[in-house]
Amino acid sequence: MEQVEPKIVAFLCNWCAYAGADLAGVSRLQHPSNMRTVRVMCSGRVDPLFIVQALKSGCDGVLVAG
Amino acid sequence: MNIELLTLSKVTSISGDSGDFTVTIKQSPRFVDMEKCIACGTCAEKCPAKTTDLFNEGLAKRKAIYVPYAQAVPLKYAIDKNRCIYFQKGKCRACEKFCPTNAIKFDDTEKDITLNVGSVILTAGFTPFNPDRFDNYQHAKFPNVVTSMEFERILSAGGPFGGHIHRLSDGKEPKKIAWLQCVGSRDLNRCDNEYCSSVCCMYAVKESIIAKEHLGPDFEPAIFFMDMRTHGKDFEKYYERAKSQGVRFIRSRVHTVTETDETGTLNLVYTTDAGERVSEDFDMVVLSVGMEPAASAIEAANTLGVELNSYKFVKTSGIAPVATSREGIYVAGAIQGPKDIPQSVVEASAAACSAGISLSAARGTLVKEKIFPDELAVQNEEPRIGVFVCNCGINIGGIADVPAIAAYAKELGHVVYTEEPLFACSQDAQDKMVEIIREQRLNRIVVAACTPRTHEPLFQETLRNAGLNAYLFEMANIRNQCTWVHSGEKEKATGKAKDLVRMAINRATLLEPIPSLSVSVNKSALVIGGGAAGMTAAISLADQGFNATIVEKSACLGGSARDVHNTWSGEDVQQFLKNLIERVSVHPRITVLTQAEVVEASGFVGNFETRVQAGEKTHSIQHGIAIVATGGQAAGTEEYLYGKHPSVTRWHDLENHPEKLAGAGSVIFIQCVGSRDEKRPYCSRICCTASVLQAIAIKEKQPDTNVFILYRDIRTFGEREILYKKAREKGVIFIRYSLEKKPVVTETTDGLEVRVFDPILQKELLIHADLVNLATAIEPSPNADIAAFYKVPVNAENFFMEAHAKLRPVDFASDGLFVCGLAHYPKSLDESIAQAMAAAGRAATVLARASILISPLVSQVNRDMCIGCGLCTEVCPFGAIIQEDADGKGFKAKNISASCKGCGLCASSCPKKAIDMLHFRDDQIIAAVCAAA
Amino acid sequence: MSNKTPVGSVLVVGGGITGMQSALDMAEAGYYVYLAEESPAIGGAMAQLDKTFPTNDCSM
Repeated sequence: MEQVEPKIVAFLCNWCAYAGADLAGVSRLQHPSNMRTVRVMCSGRVDPLFIVQALKSGCDGVLVAG
Repeated sequence: MNIELLTLSKVTSISGDSGDFTVTIKQSPRFVDMEKCIACGTCAEKCPAKTTDLFNEGLAKRKAIYVPYAQAVPLKYAIDKNRCIYFQKGKCRACEKFCPTNAIKFDDTEKDITLNVGSVILTAGFTPFNPDRFDNYQHAKFPNVVTSMEFERILSAGGPFGGHIHRLSDGKEPKKIAWLQCVGSRDLNRCDNEYCSSVCCMYAVKESIIAKEHLGPDFEPAIFFMDMRTHGKDFEKYYERAKSQGVRFIRSRVHTVTETDETGTLNLVYTTDAGERVSEDFDMVVLSVGMEPAASAIEAANTLGVELNSYKFVKTSGIAPVATSREGIYVAGAIQGPKDIPQSVVEASAAACSAGISLSAARGTLVKEKIFPDELAVQNEEPRIGVFVCNCGINIGGIADVPAIAAYAKELGHVVYTEEPLFACSQDAQDKMVEIIREQRLNRIVVAACTPRTHEPLFQETLRNAGLNAYLFEMANIRNQCTWVHSGEKEKATGKAKDLVRMAINRATLLEPIPSLSVSVNKSALVIGGGAAGMTAAISLADQGFNATIVEKSACLGGSARDVHNTWSGEDVQQFLKNLIERVSVHPRITVLTQAEVVEASGFVGNFETRVQAGEKTHSIQHGIAIVATGGQAAGTEEYLYGKHPSVTRWHDLENHPEKLAGAGSVIFIQCVGSRDEKRPYCSRICCTASVLQAIAIKEKQPDTNVFILYRDIRTFGEREILYKKAREKGVIFIRYSLEKKPVVTETTDGLEVRVFDPILQKELLIHADLVNLATAIEPSPNADIAAFYKVPVNAENFFMEAHAKLRPVDFASDGLFVCGLAHYPKSLDESIAQAMAAAGRAATVLARASILISPLVSQVNRDMCIGCGLCTEVCPFGAIIQEDADGKGFKAKNISASCKGCGLCASSCPKKAIDMLHFRDDQIIAAVCAAA
Repeated sequence: MSNKTPVGSVLVVGGGITGMQSALDMAEAGYYVYLAEESPAIGGAMAQLDKTFPTNDCSM
């Protein structure tokens, strides 16, 4: 059986969570490749509509981090 | 671009005078070409030579070719010649073989650099005390005895153990850790450092709390201390929080650490308050090491020819805290004396202010500004997108299939050009990109490479060089957030990279050019408060060539400094104040308004307007920045018969009425009156030193007078500790009391009687007193009005709140507003002066320009859709959206671009979707989201 | 100091948090800055700290 690969849209704050994701790269911290990042200037920018839109477009999960 | 970084560099000589120095610098070879190195790390991976990693305090190994840490600036490798096998044995050159950009330069040589500068600022720092010479703590021998710096690295997620705390002896998680304070501080017997290092109490508290977060509720931290010195802003609350979270505080100096078993468990023997001897085992011991001047810092100071004090810190005075003995050379930070980060940052800005004063005639003469070609008008053209998929050597290309990603991108809408540069950020690739943009008439650019956080500005500049607006650019992060973290899954990495590129292209299609935004700057300042801080700030601005208006509530200048006789370092405060008032009064650039109050304020950075009521007259003042220096005062009290008995006084009453002292047989000082209690849970910072100074003065004049100081912790931090020592030598008697057992003052027939419980004798003492002097709390002046006028925050105790406790100690979060002096927190005169100069230094970064560029990524209000509900104004943390009365249409939101930080809270909160964010528009974000699946 | 116009540049010796702040302030106020650091990278002791009070932020 084919394994399901969920796609997760991640809204990451430029100043913290996005920087953290970059740092994970610098430190070569391996993790699953399911995340698709959308950079925002603050997690407060994330309108609930964006989340609905992500799910409507076929994404399986949404992460907001900031 | 106006800061030239000279790494691996040492000052070797200086000649000339203030305004025109010639300095020579020796720069050691890096052996790596900074232009070529892309910090991919391949060299270090292949380098066979391992050595001690000093950044990790020797707890880990690094290679002979290295960057000190992952976030280093510049992020360029360097070869440690003493450890490199090629340099030591003549063979290897592995790094050279594998470097994808040919950046290794084994023939790199030492360079002599000669600079012509107007001023020098010395900030060469400190070194943590090395406790290896102490045989009683056995740091060098016992693996589980570590220094606090080592413990910082152990705690760090980026440290040698990934933030997992364990014993170095057996890898077990510790259940009990003891911190021993004052290692290398307050100790004349063993290390000659009689001063207090100021920062160790606080960092030990912090380390214990963070260790508890790591290790869970069963973890038992204990801190062994002499006096707990949490005298900084909000520090006392943190100390209380530590107590409530189960950190044990034991007032005892532990003499010896011994190992009890072969696993490395440690034993401490100490004496409790009640005099009981206790033997207790701990899994680890952290030595809270103090600060010493670094050998290299002493060398630099000597080379520059500035005087040092007896502890080898750079010598300054209490009324000129950043001036060295040599004109034109200024000092800041821990090279001047032990201090914490905020005070160092304050002095850094103060030193910049001093240098700015001496060089103001030459401001702007040597700075460079870049000029770009005119922008092409492309907004009405069909998008023509160019996609550059970077290989980053093998960082991306070695894992993801770059040609496949580029081929995939080529098939997507609006993409007319793709390329796969080896290094998109290299100079030749950048030059080529400019050519291609012009040739192919590209009007949107997507670069799939590393992270926009480091490289977006570089590519935006390339776009501008090609005549495109900087915001027609988008990056897909396929290195840091893709190939580097999915290196074992090449196909998945390629798939994810394709998705990220598709998202970026979709978003890029909707990008629009955004014009740059600037506001003009009114080059004058308003200083609120005419005390020592306010006057120093005004003088410091005026001497840099800016006009300043001082608004003082009372009838005369001087503020609370009028009560103070001497600084703790001995300078005459009244003489200083007299000179300052005179300079302020005659300075052509300074206007003084006394008996004046701010009654209204509006505007933003560069363009404030404040109305000031001075007597009958109202002044309307236009100013570019404002400095809040509203001061503070000693609080009153109803405790200890104050106000009821003439012999109970406070603060400087005794100095101001020397006749009271004459003939007094016994004087008692009571500390912490109204500080460090429930109502004011903060330490007033300066009272211990003030009372100790007064006690010494009494003893020097009347050695037979008995002087007692009743205290909770003596907080004579830094070099003030020497005063504490001096007071004890002169026979001042210090008796500790606790908040639960406060002293009691009663009236007797022949004066006063003070009852206090002495914890060392475990006995209540009855002391006769002719005079009782109270160190009441320092509280801020009433400042609710100012806070409301300028929309700046105050903390729970009504002190103004800076933008960041550590890194922005004089800025408010809103641009163009600064704070200094007692309005910020209780502080001594030297600290107030430094902070006032720092505020002036920070203000100069605004006032130096005719206009300031601000980020154009701000909110945009659609007024037709706005219903004036005010939610946006409510949620905006920066006061950047106001409600404006629109004639006949109720209220409408209006963006203040100069204050907007582009966070987008307003946009996501607007119930009518009447607000959008430039460059992060709803449809632009949604375009990326829709392309994600 | 003589009456001639001073040189509009400054040398900051030490690239820790203090030196960096001085350099930034000077550059922003219109002076050309040389920032000399002994080691291969700036950052100083603060870069070594795990977190700092009061926010327990990472000190990076």
